[in-house]
Amino acid sequence: MKALVIGNKTSHLIDGLGFIQVLASELGESIEAYGLLYGNQVEEVKGFTKIFSMPDASPEAVANTVSKVIEKVTLEIVVGPAEKNGTEILSRVASVNNMPMITEVSGISKAGDTTYLERAIMGGRATALYGFKTPIAVTVPAKKFKVSDAEATPEFEELQVIDGVTKVVEVLPKEKGAVDLEAAEIIVGVGRGFKAKDDLAMAFELAELLSGEVGCSRPVAADFKWLGEDRWIGISGKKIRGKLYIAVGISGAPQHIMAASDTKVIVAVNKDKNAPIFTFSDYGVVADLYQFLPVFIKKLKEKKGL
Amino acid sequence: MDIAVLVKASLDVNMIKADSEGRILFDSIPLAISEYDRNAVAEAVRIKGELGGKVVAFSVLTWGPVDKRAREIENVMREALALGADEAHVVVDDTILPGDVSVTAEVLSNLIKKTGDFGLILAGEGSMDMMSAQLPVRIAYKLGYPVATFARKIEVINGAVKVTRDLEDVLQVVELPLPAVVSVTGEINQPRLPTLLQIRKSFAKPYKAYTISEIGMDAPEKLFPFDDIKLVTVSRKNMIIEGENLEEIAEKLIDKLIEEGVVRV
Ligand SMILES: Cc1cc2nc3c(=O)[nH]c(=O)nc-3n(C[C@H](O)[C@H](O)[C@H](O)COP(=O)(O)OP(=O)(O)OC[C@H]3O[C@@H](n4cnc5c(N)ncnc54)[C@H](O)[C@@H]3O)c2cc1C
Repeated sequence: MKALVIGNKTSHLIDGLGFIQVLASELGESIEAYGLLYGNQVEEVKGFTKIFSMPDASPEAVANTVSKVIEKVTLEIVVGPAEKNGTEILSRVASVNNMPMITEVSGISKAGDTTYLERAIMGGRATALYGFKTPIAVTVPAKKFKVSDAEATPEFEELQVIDGVTKVVEVLPKEKGAVDLEAAEIIVGVGRGFKAKDDLAMAFELAELLSGEVGCSRPVAADFKWLGEDRWIGISGKKIRGKLYIAVGISGAPQHIMAASDTKVIVAVNKDKNAPIFTFSDYGVVADLYQFLPVFIKKLKEKKGL
Repeated sequence: MDIAVLVKASLDVNMIKADSEGRILFDSIPLAISEYDRNAVAEAVRIKGELGGKVVAFSVLTWGPVDKRAREIENVMREALALGADEAHVVVDDTILPGDVSVTAEVLSNLIKKTGDFGLILAGEGSMDMMSAQLPVRIAYKLGYPVATFARKIEVINGAVKVTRDLEDVLQVVELPLPAVVSVTGEINQPRLPTLLQIRKSFAKPYKAYTISEIGMDAPEKLFPFDDIKLVTVSRKNMIIEGENLEEIAEKLIDKLIEEGVVRV
């Protein structure tokens, strides 16, 4: 199968190649893979026949340039990173070339003679299956499909950017956090049940007592900016898979809690006994967090002899 | 400048129902306004406040059965009207169910073209149910308009729109000529719940439902329909810790966590 993998980081090319390899082995086909890296230094990634490069550009210009490559090399699959820019670029490529597109493929499965591409829908409560066909555009999450050793050594080619009407006028940095929630064993999650940023101190104290980290729901990070986006748990944030998740003042929207489904034990603290979070948790405490957390912290300290 | 806003009557993901074998009972899941489309309506109303014009909400029904859903999509659009849209136009048609993103884009772009001239078309970043985040781009290409996605800030200046895109690592500010399509994130504004008065007023605003033949179309071929949808099963203990007082509850919870081997003291 002839595939093009695009991205602005070398890791995007590797993630995409991993997907192509898994899919090709499922279908019993050989691979002819092309890469396209924009806005970054090209590195050699084994497994690609050729890697195109171009300077950083608007999603429109990247998509225009990709479509030009598609004209030259008849491609069956175009793959990009399941990030916001990747989603926009691939949606554009799919629109121009009248291709179907799978946003954020989560798996490849087989039933009978049909190979299916899977993706999470409904906030993660369900999986949709699409019978694989070509041509197709697909976005792929980081590190989902393991890349295996490959022989091919790529040639390199620089591409001329094909501009569009979108002008990039400014790029502003975003504050970067350093918390790795995906590797944390114990996480205390905070949600809109907290009334002020200062009140999160209770959650940090609890997390420290448990040697864990603090995570949060989307509004706490993205809306209120009380915490960095590195602490945002959910389908559009981080997936967590530790041994304990304590969700405090979080309602339990599927887009949040389904990203914690690989956690061993989930505890919920919420003052509303009908909050959906209780159906997604092992142990529930129906209480006002402002009353419960101080008591919980005190008791934990007692047990620990502190 | 008139503004179009795309609103989806989405399956309410907080109300998913399944039978004992884990088959999803789609027809029993209610439709609700897709979470981030409320932000799109609120943003359209804000821009209208600055520039004048009207805000028209558009939708295409994507889940059947039609006889039951026709009322539900109207309720969703009444919410958009209560949030400040001036009129609503929808397509309700059996032949395109369940929805397919390219068909929805085709139908919506025709409906928009037929209804008026819009300087700006706003939508939520992705729908609550299908979450594919492709629709705004597909519509833009069908209409031949430029598009920007994941906006956390929109400024309309001199026939152009400046959009601050909220990307994972950076904020990217782009400028596009109007007319343009822009999808907004849930963080662009904080839509207020409509007041009772706004809800009452929404019933006096124009609401029109069409079939696809009424907007001069034949059912377009689906580009990529799903073959199956499976429930992701969640099995948890669902035990509520009870006690005389919070001290007792806290102690019982700590004991449980020790028993589970997830906390050590
Ligand atoms: C496409 C899409 C993607 C999304 N992605 C994400 C994502 O990645 N992550 C995410 O988190 N969300 C995501 N969301 C948003 C999600 O739907 C919810 O809006 C969000 O998770 C709600 O956050 P919350 O639970 O903190 O707030 P709320 O839903 O407002 O819940 C607050 C809870 O706190 C409780 N509470 C209030 N006061 C107290 C108190 N004193 N003591 C105890 N409890 C109290 C309330 O009973 C309530 O249950 C997404 C939505 C969409 C549509």
